[in-house]
Amino acid sequence: MEQLTWTGALSGYIDPALLVLMISLVAFIVAQIALSFVTAPGAVSTNPDGTLNITRGPQEFAGVGIKIAFTGIVLCLLGYIILGVVMPYGSTGIVGAIAKQFLPVWIALIVTYVLSITFKRRLGLYGKLFDSPIGMIGFGLVMFWVFTAVLGGPLDLIVTHDELSQVSGLKNKTPGMAVPGASEMIPGAHYLLGGDTLARDVFSRVVKGAWVVVQIAPLATIFAFMVGITLGLPAGYYGGKLDTFLSFLANLILAFPVILLFYLLVTPEIVATGLPNFMALVLFLFPLIFVAVLIQSRFYTEPAKRTRIMAAWMIPMIIVYLMIVSQKGTVINILPQALDRFDIPGGILVVFVSVVFVNSPTVFRIVRGLTLDIKTRDYVAAAQTRGEGPWYIMLWEILPNARGPLIVDFCLRIGYTTILLGTLGFFGLGLPPESPDWGSTINEGRKLLSIYLHPALPPALSLLSLVLGLNLLADGLREESLKD
Amino acid sequence: MTDHTTYDGPILEIDNLSISFFTRLREIPAVMDFSCTVQPGEAMGLVGESGCGKSTVALGVMQDLGVNGRIVGGSIKFKGRDLGQMSQEELRDVRGSEIAMIYQEPMASLNPAMKIGKQLMEVPMIHEGTSKEEAYQMALEVVTDVKLPDPKRILESFPHQLSGGQQQRIVIAMALMSKPSLLILDEPTTALDVTVEAGIVQLVKELGTKYGTSMLFISHNLGLVLETCDRICVMYSGETVETGSIQDVFDKMQHPYTQALFRSIPLPGADKNARPLVAIPGNFPLPHERPMGCNFGPRCDYFEAGTCDKGPIPMSGVSFGDRHESRCMRISEIDWDAPITVAEQKEKGEIGDVVLRMDDLKKYYEVSANALFGGGKNKKVVKANETLSFEAHESETLAIVGESGCGKSTFAKVLMGLETATSGEVLLDNQSIGSTPIEARDTKTVSDVQMVFQNPFDTLNPSMTVGRQIIRALEVFKIGNSDDERRDKMLNLLDLVKLPRAFSDRMPRQLSGGQKQRVGIARAFAGGARIVVADEPVSALDVSVQAAVTDLLMEIQREEKTTLLFISHDLSIVRYLSDRVMVMYLGHVVELGTTDQVFAPPYHPYTEALLSAVPIADTSVEKKHIVLEGDIPSAMNPPPGCPFQTRCNWKSKVAGGLCEKDVPPMKTMSDGLQIKCHLSDADLAEMEPVIKIAAE
Repeated sequence: MEQLTWTGALSGYIDPALLVLMISLVAFIVAQIALSFVTAPGAVSTNPDGTLNITRGPQEFAGVGIKIAFTGIVLCLLGYIILGVVMPYGSTGIVGAIAKQFLPVWIALIVTYVLSITFKRRLGLYGKLFDSPIGMIGFGLVMFWVFTAVLGGPLDLIVTHDELSQVSGLKNKTPGMAVPGASEMIPGAHYLLGGDTLARDVFSRVVKGAWVVVQIAPLATIFAFMVGITLGLPAGYYGGKLDTFLSFLANLILAFPVILLFYLLVTPEIVATGLPNFMALVLFLFPLIFVAVLIQSRFYTEPAKRTRIMAAWMIPMIIVYLMIVSQKGTVINILPQALDRFDIPGGILVVFVSVVFVNSPTVFRIVRGLTLDIKTRDYVAAAQTRGEGPWYIMLWEILPNARGPLIVDFCLRIGYTTILLGTLGFFGLGLPPESPDWGSTINEGRKLLSIYLHPALPPALSLLSLVLGLNLLADGLREESLKD
Repeated sequence: MTDHTTYDGPILEIDNLSISFFTRLREIPAVMDFSCTVQPGEAMGLVGESGCGKSTVALGVMQDLGVNGRIVGGSIKFKGRDLGQMSQEELRDVRGSEIAMIYQEPMASLNPAMKIGKQLMEVPMIHEGTSKEEAYQMALEVVTDVKLPDPKRILESFPHQLSGGQQQRIVIAMALMSKPSLLILDEPTTALDVTVEAGIVQLVKELGTKYGTSMLFISHNLGLVLETCDRICVMYSGETVETGSIQDVFDKMQHPYTQALFRSIPLPGADKNARPLVAIPGNFPLPHERPMGCNFGPRCDYFEAGTCDKGPIPMSGVSFGDRHESRCMRISEIDWDAPITVAEQKEKGEIGDVVLRMDDLKKYYEVSANALFGGGKNKKVVKANETLSFEAHESETLAIVGESGCGKSTFAKVLMGLETATSGEVLLDNQSIGSTPIEARDTKTVSDVQMVFQNPFDTLNPSMTVGRQIIRALEVFKIGNSDDERRDKMLNLLDLVKLPRAFSDRMPRQLSGGQKQRVGIARAFAGGARIVVADEPVSALDVSVQAAVTDLLMEIQREEKTTLLFISHDLSIVRYLSDRVMVMYLGHVVELGTTDQVFAPPYHPYTEALLSAVPIADTSVEKKHIVLEGDIPSAMNPPPGCPFQTRCNWKSKVAGGLCEKDVPPMKTMSDGLQIKCHLSDADLAEMEPVIKIAAE
């Protein structure tokens, strides 16, 4: 079997077209900038019927050129994907084969977009996202990786090889190398993105790694938000000594070098003392407190209803909480083995706890600042004058009105957390060494970077595109939430 | 700059100006077919409710409409040159040097990181290239002109070191630095206190005469326009509806909107029972929902189908008056002198027993200089309320009048239980609640004392439906046994405040200011409140809506026999609706009596100044002009003796510097009026009425 080329049969048609379009795009952009120094922009005049007329100068023509070139590039890229999906495996090279592997993701994305755009007027802020091109691109990138993670991780649809199995003879082989012994042109006949130093398939590892990243980052961010909100609200609302104390604590954590903190937390001696478990005990308690206070403050006027709702929420949450914190063989082993249905692997727990611990002070400060602003509003005073308790005011009057900045920060923070996870993996902290997560993979690839670029590059680009997507999504959300 | 002297035509000619804003959805016409002419030295007032396009006209004159605003028709000529044809360079030259603009919020128009002097000196240095020394001299001169004390120190200070009134004076000084031919003032005093406003208004008038500057004065306050302007332009929904000289428009108005506007503001003579205000029915139309023909048509009493709803209506001249024009099809058919048909005479509510009594209430705050390590020697005491004593009866309206910092909000907080009194008593039905914080009060007490807030855009939680917010109040007050019962009660409350029941599922942002305020009132009355503290409930609303909300409050009061504590600085509305008035200054009650007593001599010197400062939109009213010097002292650092002595005009009449030594005692006059002043009875008796209605 031959090694696959990058674009296979398409190399004669789309490749040169793409090259020409890219060169012309750059040329048009340069021309527009240069012209803006020399010529005046086109004048805008208004017609009596309310329409506008714009006279076109050279600058405007350069602008049109940029648009055409850009559209062409997008069409070329779409061409790669569509042709790759339609044409038989291997005939359109590596790009086509990868596009084919991602077919379930494309279908899921198309369904999501068609449904969302059809019903966007009924979907609130989420629907408004589809009014902003930037938000749509960001959402697309994020959802691409989410679908990849779900479909490729637990459902095993996308990968071509097992992420841990090694195939002899493919150590450090370049992209498109055929697997020895394979004779048919079917998925799995090639290492699409080459092999790493242990002769594992880079493509499959990137897809599997997405599942690790997409699982931990949002969850850790949610927990960081719970902690930050539960402490930030009273700090901002009560002010005074409590605020001084909590802010001091937050600054203390922020001032501590993060990486050093992580190194400390994963040191075997410290793990043996049970410190991460104790931290988990405390940090995982916050969602419980949060929900309990939320329900109590809202329904205390009707005790019967309150007790019903409280029980419905709290009992499952407490059980899950105990299962998470209770670990066999560590200091905290509360539940009997029979009831402890699952354990989080020690390494992941440490990473999780550290990420929450490091992120919550920043969330705390944002929430505190927003609370300081909102608590001066009249509707807060109105709640006070009808005798509402402080927690009702904080959770039902202040928090919902602080949601805009918090949602935006949530998206950005998932991005930071992803990078942080990557960094941790890069330093070999926390996650097991064979874990396919992007950070660890980059670290492994780093060792032979000067000879073999291909094992480190795909996870790095994946990380980049996910974080970029989250940032664009946050931008889009912010832009749309400001409009009304 | 060179043609300052050579041109002698009108300063500003706006001809059939139309301005639109373009959004993704549609074109929004903000100003349509607007024309006006400002002659040299003339002051033109631009009056209208919020959203009528008056500020857009000003921005149009400055050619600063932003990215999506555009002039779609007509022309603006400044000294004969069309501003629309000018290049950006020419415009930059005109702005700030020949046309200057003064905005509403003084703090927002000054650069907080630059010293005042430097900001002032920039103007001539950029526009005329004067040297630094010359510019400094000019700045010094102008700051002296706007009557700021110690100009040298002011030039060396940063904006935040000055009070709001001083900042606004600096903004005016900056506008005058270049000796502009046209000054645009966009609500220049709305953010200021009344007595400070009076000072600024007088300053603007004097400077206008001194420099011969033409002015375009934008305001929603008819009284203010009467005091400052020569001509007036009334706008409604993007159009001028009437224009003419102040005298003509105020006394012989020829447009139904102008007439309705004047009938909805409380002028001396209006009375809540005998002659209630006439609110304009309906709502201001949204720009894209304007009706065919006359924009005011749907709300107009004289509307005639077939005449008023056919196509655009032009401005047409009125037979009398100086350049008096009106945009009405039926000018000649309407009998403009017809007396107001009194809608309905209302029974005056019977005033009952004492419900609330304040006895020698004191509230001090301790402020330490260092927040982190409190204590130490630097503790300061803010005396927010001093010896506050009064009574309030059932179904009585007690107005509490005073400017910012007088302690009225602190008093409200103590009454509501958000703060506890330092000493003294608050008695509700002879039960002391002054030292009981709200958490310790029982539900009945809490629901009995409720509050209506000032800012309609802030009074409702933006992320909860209207119905939910009222139901929440019912839940907290333990009213109703089930969700259905509470829902019914909530719908009844919406009926009470005359809102459609469908509003219960709306979010607050879908409501107008007046509607939000009604929801706020419904929420306050949810628990059958007996005492309602209304903190400036209408001051943030448009004039035409104010009347309706005020009447609603009065009506509920008549039905529920509520005691209304009406906090306000607007004496016209206080005079209209209150039974008794309490005037406060720096935490002290300086005067307390029935409305008639307070509004007639003898006055406390502060009441006198306050009365004279409030602009009244009635040409037949003659006012004594009393302008107070300086600003309200800080409560952190009150003057010794009488709190008002630093600004009092009568201080010289009291011998021996008594005012600077002792706080005057509360003096009860023969008719029960209480005044806190050292002036002798003879001096007090000498006082003349501030407001005189000229005999007609």
